[in-house]
Amino acid sequence: MPATTTIGRRTALGLGLASLGRPALAAAKPVKIGMLMPFTGPWAREGILERLGAEMAIAGVNAAGGIRALGGAQLILVPYDTQDTAERAKDGATRMIADHPDLIAGIGCWLSTFTLAATEVSERAKLPWLTHGYSDAITARGFHYVFDTSAPASYQAAHTVPAMLAMARAAGKHPTKVAIIGDNTAASVSFTKPLRTHVLKDLGLKLVLDETYTPPLADASGLVQPLRAAGADFLLLASSNVPDDKLLLDALHEFGLSGHLPALTEGGHMVAPEVVQTTGTHIVQGMMAVVTNWPGPGTGPLVERFMKRTKEPWMGQESIFAYGHIMLLRYLLEHGAAATKPGIAQGLRRIDITDGPARYFPGHRLQFDAKGLRVGATLVIVQWQGGKPVSVYPPDTATSKAIWA
Amino acid sequence: MRVGGAARLRRDGIALAVVTVIYVGLAASVHNSYYQLMLTLVPIWAVLGLGWNLFSGMSGLVSFGHAAFFGIGAYVVTLALVYWNLTPWIGIPLGMLAGAVAGGLIGLPTFRLRGHYFALSMLAYPLAILYVFEYLGFQEVPLPMHRDHPALFLQFNNPLLSTLVAVGLFVAAMIAGMLVENSRFGLALLAIRQNELAAEAAGLDTWRWKMRGLIASGAIAAAAGGLYACVLLIVTPDSVFSVLVSAQALVVTLFGGVATVWGPAIGAAVLIPLAETLNAKLGNIIPGIQGVVYGVAIIAIMLAAPEGLFWTFRDRFFRRAPALPPIRARAPPPAVRAEAGILLDVRGLSKSFGGLRAVQDVTFTVGAGEILGIIGPNGAGKTTLFNLLNGVLRADAGAAVFAGTELRGRKVHQVARRGVGRTFQVVRSFPRLSLLENVIVGAYGAGLDDTAAAGAAEAALEAVGLADRAARPAGELTNKGLRLMELARALAGSPRLLLLDETLAGLGREECDELLTVLRGLRERGVTIVIIEHTMHAMLRLADRFLVLDHGRVLAEGAPHAVMENPAVIEAYLGSKFLARQHA
Repeated sequence: MPATTTIGRRTALGLGLASLGRPALAAAKPVKIGMLMPFTGPWAREGILERLGAEMAIAGVNAAGGIRALGGAQLILVPYDTQDTAERAKDGATRMIADHPDLIAGIGCWLSTFTLAATEVSERAKLPWLTHGYSDAITARGFHYVFDTSAPASYQAAHTVPAMLAMARAAGKHPTKVAIIGDNTAASVSFTKPLRTHVLKDLGLKLVLDETYTPPLADASGLVQPLRAAGADFLLLASSNVPDDKLLLDALHEFGLSGHLPALTEGGHMVAPEVVQTTGTHIVQGMMAVVTNWPGPGTGPLVERFMKRTKEPWMGQESIFAYGHIMLLRYLLEHGAAATKPGIAQGLRRIDITDGPARYFPGHRLQFDAKGLRVGATLVIVQWQGGKPVSVYPPDTATSKAIWA
Repeated sequence: MRVGGAARLRRDGIALAVVTVIYVGLAASVHNSYYQLMLTLVPIWAVLGLGWNLFSGMSGLVSFGHAAFFGIGAYVVTLALVYWNLTPWIGIPLGMLAGAVAGGLIGLPTFRLRGHYFALSMLAYPLAILYVFEYLGFQEVPLPMHRDHPALFLQFNNPLLSTLVAVGLFVAAMIAGMLVENSRFGLALLAIRQNELAAEAAGLDTWRWKMRGLIASGAIAAAAGGLYACVLLIVTPDSVFSVLVSAQALVVTLFGGVATVWGPAIGAAVLIPLAETLNAKLGNIIPGIQGVVYGVAIIAIMLAAPEGLFWTFRDRFFRRAPALPPIRARAPPPAVRAEAGILLDVRGLSKSFGGLRAVQDVTFTVGAGEILGIIGPNGAGKTTLFNLLNGVLRADAGAAVFAGTELRGRKVHQVARRGVGRTFQVVRSFPRLSLLENVIVGAYGAGLDDTAAAGAAEAALEAVGLADRAARPAGELTNKGLRLMELARALAGSPRLLLLDETLAGLGREECDELLTVLRGLRERGVTIVIIEHTMHAMLRLADRFLVLDHGRVLAEGAPHAVMENPAVIEAYLGSKFLARQHA
C-alpha cells in the first residue's frame, strides 16, 4: 500500500477531465451534507469526534478549490443533534430534512438505535444516508437509500474470536479457555449471545467464566475476582461505556491480571482518550478493542494533521469514518454524480473502487451490496500500547505488532 | 348521566367540534414536515393525558406509571405488524385490549395501597416491563415499511393524513372522557378523589370503580402508545416505557387542568409545541438550554395557575353556577319506614391494635327511632367503634346485628347499602360541583338509577334545609353548610341508621341549634341516629340516651342526665376537678 499518494490515478484523471468539461463558475452553488450525531447527552463525545473528522475533510476539500466538477462548489456541513433518545434522533432527522430540503446526503448517527430511527425518516425522504452503525437491522429493512460502511454486529460476533485466535497463534500460543464478562445492554448482548450459543463451541473453546452485570457498575472487583481461579486463556469484555471500562480495568489491575491475561472489548469506548486519562498507561497496556475502522498504514500525515487541528491525542474510529464518508461523497461528485439526492444515491449504488477514499475503510474497497452493506468490510483490532491505541489486526491494517501476554 | 350532564355534553361537544375544525385547518396549512410531525404529536400526547386524567385526575390516585400502558400499546402494534403483518388499524384496538388487561392486572395488587405508596408502586411497573422487553430482545424494533399500502399500514406519504388519524383518536378519547365525566362513573371517581373512605361509606364499591377507571385509562393510554409507534416508526423500550413518558402524561394534564377533559388537550397544545420549538431553536445553539427554559415555563405557569390553565381561566372569566334544573317545589322526603324494637344490637365488640385495646367487650343496643349519644374522652374508642360498625375495621370479637343481619365481616359499601349511613369528623366536599352533585354520590351509593338518585338527593337537601342552594357550588358553603351537606349525602342513600361523627364540632351555638333542629326532624321521619359528640350542651338536648366509653370499655349507659350525674363518668370524662367543684 503506497503511503504517499493522496489522490489515485483514476481520481486525478477524473478530476482533470471534469475540470476541462466544466469551466469553474464564479459562484457555484454550495453542496450541503447533513450530519446527524449525538452532540449532547451521553454519546456527545463520539458525535463530536465524528464532526471533527468531517469538518477537517470539508475544510480540506474547500481549501483545495471545492468540487471542481461542480465549478468549485464549496461543501457545507449541516450538523444536527440527535440528543439522547431515539425519538429525539428521529425529530432531528425530520427537522434537518424539513429545514434543508437541498441536502445531497446525510451522515449519522453513531449509535445504531439513533441510526435506525433517523433512517426511517431519511429513507422516506429518499435522502442517501451514510452510516457506520453496527446493528444488522440497519440494512435488513429493505431500504434503498441507507449505506453502511461498517462490518455489522453479526460479522463482528463471528470473526472476533477467530481474529483473537489468529493473533494468539502468531504469538505462538494456543488458547483453549475463554472468560466472558459483559453487561446486558443491547449491543453487548448481541455480541455475547452468539459466543455463548455456538461461536466458542465451534472453535473448540471452553467457556470457563460467564458473568453478566447491569450497568453502571459501582465496583468491578466481584466480577473480576473469579477470573483468577477460572484459569482463562483470554477474556472477552462486553462493556458499553467508559466509566464501567475504568472500573473493570482497575479491578483487572488490582488482581494482577492486566498485562497477563489477554483481554478484548467490543466497541470503541475502550480506546477513548478518557480511559487512559482516568486509569494510567500501565493499567491499560495490552487491552484490546474491536472496532470497524482505524487509521491504518499510510494515513500518518492525515492523522498528524488531525491531531494538530483538533488537539486530540490521536485519530480514532469515529473521526476516520466521518473523514472517509465526506471523501466518498466528494469522490462521487467529482466523478459525475449529480449534486442531488438521486444523483448521490445512484453513485453509491454503482461505486466500486479500491483506491481514493477506499483507503479510509478497512478492506480498502468501496462497493455496496443490494442491502447497502459495504462489500469487504472487516473488523479492526486496536490495542493499547504505551498509552496509545494502535491497530494490530488484520495485518493489512495493522500499524504495530500485537502484544499477546 | 349526571345532573345537567346532557347540557354539559352538548356544550363540550360543540366546543370539541370547533376546536377540531380549527386544528385540522391549521394542520392543512402547514407544509414543513417537522411542524407537521409536531401537529401529529400534540393529539397523541393529549390522548395519553386523557387516559391518565380519566383515572388519576378523576380519582386522585396519582399514577407515575402510565408509560406501562403506553408502552404496551406501542409494542403490541409494532410486534403485531412485525410478526403477523397486522395493520395498526387492528393493532391499536388489540393494544387497547392489552392495555385494559394490564390495567386490571396492575390494579389487582396495587389497589391495596393508598396515597404516595400507590403512586410509587405504579412507578415501578413500566420500569419492570422495560427490562422485560430488553431481556426479550426487543431493544429496537423498526416498523416494517409498507410502500404499497400506506393507508392500510398508517404509513402515509402525506403527513397531514397522520395528523388526521391522531386527531380522530383524540376526538374519540375526548368523547369517552366526556361521557365518563358526565356519568355516575365520573362522579364515583371524583368521590374517591375527595375521600375514598367517605365514598365507600356512602355505599360506593370504590374498588370496583377504581378498577373500571384503571382499565379504561389503560386502554386509552395504550391507544396513544400504539399510534405513537406508527409515528415514531421504531420502538425502543426507552422511548415508550421511560419515566419521561409517564411524566408527560402528568405534566400535560396538570398544566392544562386536572379532572376535566380539556386539561390534557390544553396542556398538550401548549407544551408539546413549546418543547419541540425550544428543542429545535435553542438545542442546537446551547445544548440542554431547552430543558431549562421548558422547566422554567412550567414552573411559572404552575405558579400563576396552580390548578391548571383550564380552571384558572374558567374561574376568572366564566364563573357562574352550573346550569341545573330548579329543585321541584315539593320533593318527597327520604323513604323511611317507621320501625319498632331494636335496630342495632352490639354484643361484646372488641378490637385491639397490638397491645392497645381500643374497644373492649362493648355491648349496647339502639332502638328504632332512638338518638343515642356516644360520649367519652379523647381516645376512648368512639370513632374506632364506628369504624368497627361500618366495616372500616374488622372486629377481633363480638357481633353487631343490624335489623337482623350481621354487620361483622362486611365491607364498608356493603354495610352502607344495608342502610347504615355515616358522616366523618372532617367534611370533604367537591368544591367545584354543585351541592346537588355532592349529595347525589350518596344516592348512587344506594344503588339508585340516575333519575331516582337525583330525586333522592333533592329530597335529602330539602330535609336538611339546603334545597334553595342546590345549584350552588359546594365551595361557597360555610362550615355549617358543609356539615348539613354531608348529612344530606348520608341521607340520600335513605339510611335507617345514621352514624354521625362529631357533626356539631366547630359550630357556634346558633348554628348548633339549627343542626339540632334538622337532626330532630330526621328522627321524626324515622331515622335512627347514633352520634359521637363533645358538645355536651347540645348532646343533653338531643340524645335520648347516652353511652359513655372510656379506655374502650362501656363506662355507663342510660338517660343523659342520670349518666351525667354518675361520678365515674364525671371523673373520666370531665376530670376530677369538675367532680371536686361539684362537691364543693
